[in-house]
Amino acid sequence: MSQTPAPTLPPFDRKLLAVVERLVPLAEREEWSRAWQAELWHMHHRRGLHHRSALITMADFSIGLTRDALWLRTESWRRTFTGTAVLCIAFLFGLIIIASLVALAPTAGWRTLSSSLGEQCLRYIVVSPLVIFVAFASASSRHIEQGSSNRGRFWLKQQAFFSAKVIQVLVLAFVLSLDTCQPLHNAFPATADFFRIYFFVLFALFGLRWAIHDQEQRCKHCLHSLATPARVGRPSHNLLEWNGTELNCMRGHGLLSIPEMETSWCQSSRWIAIDACRLRVDEDRYLEIG
Amino acid sequence: MNAPRLSHTAALILKAISLGYCYGLDVMEITGLPSGTVYPALRRLERDEFVESKWEPEEQATSKQRPARRYYEVTREGKAAALAATQRYPLLAHLVPEKRS
Repeated sequence: MSQTPAPTLPPFDRKLLAVVERLVPLAEREEWSRAWQAELWHMHHRRGLHHRSALITMADFSIGLTRDALWLRTESWRRTFTGTAVLCIAFLFGLIIIASLVALAPTAGWRTLSSSLGEQCLRYIVVSPLVIFVAFASASSRHIEQGSSNRGRFWLKQQAFFSAKVIQVLVLAFVLSLDTCQPLHNAFPATADFFRIYFFVLFALFGLRWAIHDQEQRCKHCLHSLATPARVGRPSHNLLEWNGTELNCMRGHGLLSIPEMETSWCQSSRWIAIDACRLRVDEDRYLEIG
Repeated sequence: MNAPRLSHTAALILKAISLGYCYGLDVMEITGLPSGTVYPALRRLERDEFVESKWEPEEQATSKQRPARRYYEVTREGKAAALAATQRYPLLAHLVPEKRS
């Protein structure tokens, strides 16, 4: 179907559209521009708008088209970054920055804070490996079975992401422990020091448990968060057949099968890459036909 | 299934579309909302599949010597949401009159 030529608009409108359309993602730009050209044309040729002056109406529409373009841009970012490893790392980094600013505010600068903390750093360095050990030991004993081909190719990427998360969680726990005990420090310095370590251990344990859980529920290829959890099987048939939850990678790399309970024949969660999924479906079809 | 919950503004816009006000400028006029509220709200409603949009046929627009408009239509989910919103905000039914064709 042929498209009608672009409507004639006043120079200001054309210039405004040309500037604001740069905010719109490239894939949606043409349609956005066409829609707004039509809306502006109709706005100028509308008789019902005589209550407002043309200037106010144009200002209103300028805000409208800018907000519309911004919405499309943020929506595009949301679609691109939701569930990604980059967003996770950036989010943790943002939390560290905010928590650090809260810690710095009452101590009048980083130098004062760092001098008061210098002597305690050794304690944190000793405590951190212990906390990591306890977090791993107390985490779910289930491991995730992966194909040998996946291990080699994506292992390094997974470990780098997990290490970055663990380091950020420890730093965040450290800064949050400072924030929490800051009001107590002036009146009872010794008690505050004790509670700092106590809160650090507490926050770090919670954070590391989350980091381990989050790592388990990510795609082993692209590190996106797995989505669309689906219950599979019947709980009443627990000892007879598999039942549990399946999570999918939205980019189609595979699925994670998490058994509801551990049995001798199914002790761990299984990551099934997409090729293996197809193989399993083909096997099932073959059995059904047979 | 729980009925989807909409903000008052989104419910008002959805109600207007369901009553036949099917393009942005029309919705703006009848609701009195500014364009900065209406257009992003229409995008959100479309993303959440409460409304769907389509371009007016070119022939129709050309015959009236004007550019084609983007029309919005309420989906089945949108109708359920509009109904739930009307129950939640009873005054909504009186705010927007039905469009005379």
